[in-house]
Amino acid sequence: MASTSISKAERSYIQAGLLASPARRTDGRTVTDFRSISLETGVAPLANGSARLSIGQNPHNGSGGTEVVAAAKLEVETVEEEDGTGDGRIVCSVSCSPSAYPNLSTGALDDLQHDLTTVLHQTLSDRSLHPSNLVILPGKKSWLLNLDILVLADSGNIYDALFMAARAALWDTKVPRTRSVEYKAKRNEPIAKNTSGGSGDMDVDQDTTSGFDTRKIISNAIDFELPDYWDEGEVLDGRDRWPVCVTLNLVPPVHYLDALPLEEASTPVRLLLVFSFPSSAPPTLQAMRMLGAGEVNVAELKSLVTEGEKYAKEMMTAITFKLKEEDVRRNQKAREKFAKR
Amino acid sequence: MAQSGFDRRRINGPEESFPPFFEADNSPKSQSIRTTRSPKEIRPIFLQPGLILQANGSAYVETERAKIACAVYGPRQSKNTAYSEKGRLNVEVKFTPFSCERRRAPLRDAEDRSIAVAVQQTLLSSVRLELFPKSTIDVFVVVIEADGIEACIASASVAASTALANAGIEMFGLVVSCAACIIEDDVWLDPTQDEASQAQGVLVFSCMPALGKVTSIWESGQMKPSEALACIDVCEERCSEIHSVVAQALLSATQHQ
Repeated sequence: MASTSISKAERSYIQAGLLASPARRTDGRTVTDFRSISLETGVAPLANGSARLSIGQNPHNGSGGTEVVAAAKLEVETVEEEDGTGDGRIVCSVSCSPSAYPNLSTGALDDLQHDLTTVLHQTLSDRSLHPSNLVILPGKKSWLLNLDILVLADSGNIYDALFMAARAALWDTKVPRTRSVEYKAKRNEPIAKNTSGGSGDMDVDQDTTSGFDTRKIISNAIDFELPDYWDEGEVLDGRDRWPVCVTLNLVPPVHYLDALPLEEASTPVRLLLVFSFPSSAPPTLQAMRMLGAGEVNVAELKSLVTEGEKYAKEMMTAITFKLKEEDVRRNQKAREKFAKR
Repeated sequence: MAQSGFDRRRINGPEESFPPFFEADNSPKSQSIRTTRSPKEIRPIFLQPGLILQANGSAYVETERAKIACAVYGPRQSKNTAYSEKGRLNVEVKFTPFSCERRRAPLRDAEDRSIAVAVQQTLLSSVRLELFPKSTIDVFVVVIEADGIEACIASASVAASTALANAGIEMFGLVVSCAACIIEDDVWLDPTQDEASQAQGVLVFSCMPALGKVTSIWESGQMKPSEALACIDVCEERCSEIHSVVAQALLSATQHQ
């Protein structure tokens, strides 16, 4: 991000353009205009959920723009006593492809990856966003969701892209349905019998006791199975809670959205605001970071938070609409096409 | 033999070891009740500049449990980087192995860097880096005892700013920070580690009270936007009080020399 070198004249030209009224940007956008965003889900079939997002990519030849791929993969984790939470974990990591940052050395690239990972992980693994269906066996086994995001190209506004892609991948994630299993010794045979192919005494716990019998609520389940191997599963809970990020680039008293790399180099101060809009509750702020050297006073800061919420709301509406459209395209329309063939 | 935990420079203990588990600790944590101070009060700060004599500037800050030492070396020549018109501010944070409840590895780990980045952000706007081309100012922060990440960031930035002033580096103003959290829809200042883990969201606010400018704001967890703005207001008031503490400490240090 600090890899674009810029001359003083160019910096002053860009700043003067932004401070003018009406504000002028190099590509003719207004201060609140975003470049065109393209989003596709289901790009990694082996992952439980995935998405590819690009901002400002040329539609004809796919060049330029910020491009990010996010994929969510679930692993089974045995709950250790120390880790505490027995209801699943989310771990986020961002890796930057060296082709996205050709001017950075390996050490600087590692540092950048680490910084992006920290912001994403601290925000998305917060307890308030935790989905409820990551448990397999309460207290024993749970799902660990690894959200990995790869930055393929960076042409400005990387934080917004990362959070949007994360939201899309998590929206798309399906958690396989599991059924808990209990091992019981057969009543007629001696307990110490071991057949060569493993125990043949596997009983699913619903068989022997009536479903209405609530006396024996404590489950002795020690293992689980997937009832349907081919079923992708149920959607990850908390779809509407996943947040979006708005980066407000600051040139006091003006702020603008969706900066190009040259603009980012000219106006280094940015305010990252991550908002969540759950469906049945008022909007909440999930993270706020100020990056870059510059000065803002408190009154400006307050107005920025309020403005940021409006931008985030618009972004959230647009991305949710697109995600629902993607769901329709991949399921319903695909079935129709298949039926027609 | 080449396992990840094997450190050739030190005498390694057994591969797996667990801290002792006390029965009393197993009791469910009661709701946070502050006995010694009100929710809007911060803990008293002890600040002493000039303790590390071989550094250009240094400071030691101690609030109730957090103890942080900071040393500043600079401005000195940056050998490895290319020509830069403005100076570079390099912040490194190190947790001692005994600083947290569970022993931390002596090697640098991920959390060190995220705190270093946060502290650097608070200081970046205050130092007049344009006066030091081709130079680096190194700020080394050692956390001797930690009391939660937010208190760490806040105290470290106060210590670093004092150390920079003690080193005689030109700055626009002193940076002070205050941490706040939201517990049960109420703003509580200067949370301890237990309070912060129970809170819905925490916020660290850094500013230069002399100029009335915000240098950094760091928020984590869930907060309503109105609650965040309320936190900012309360923190701003406290910051001007902390600023007078810092100024007083620096003044008495120079008078005693």
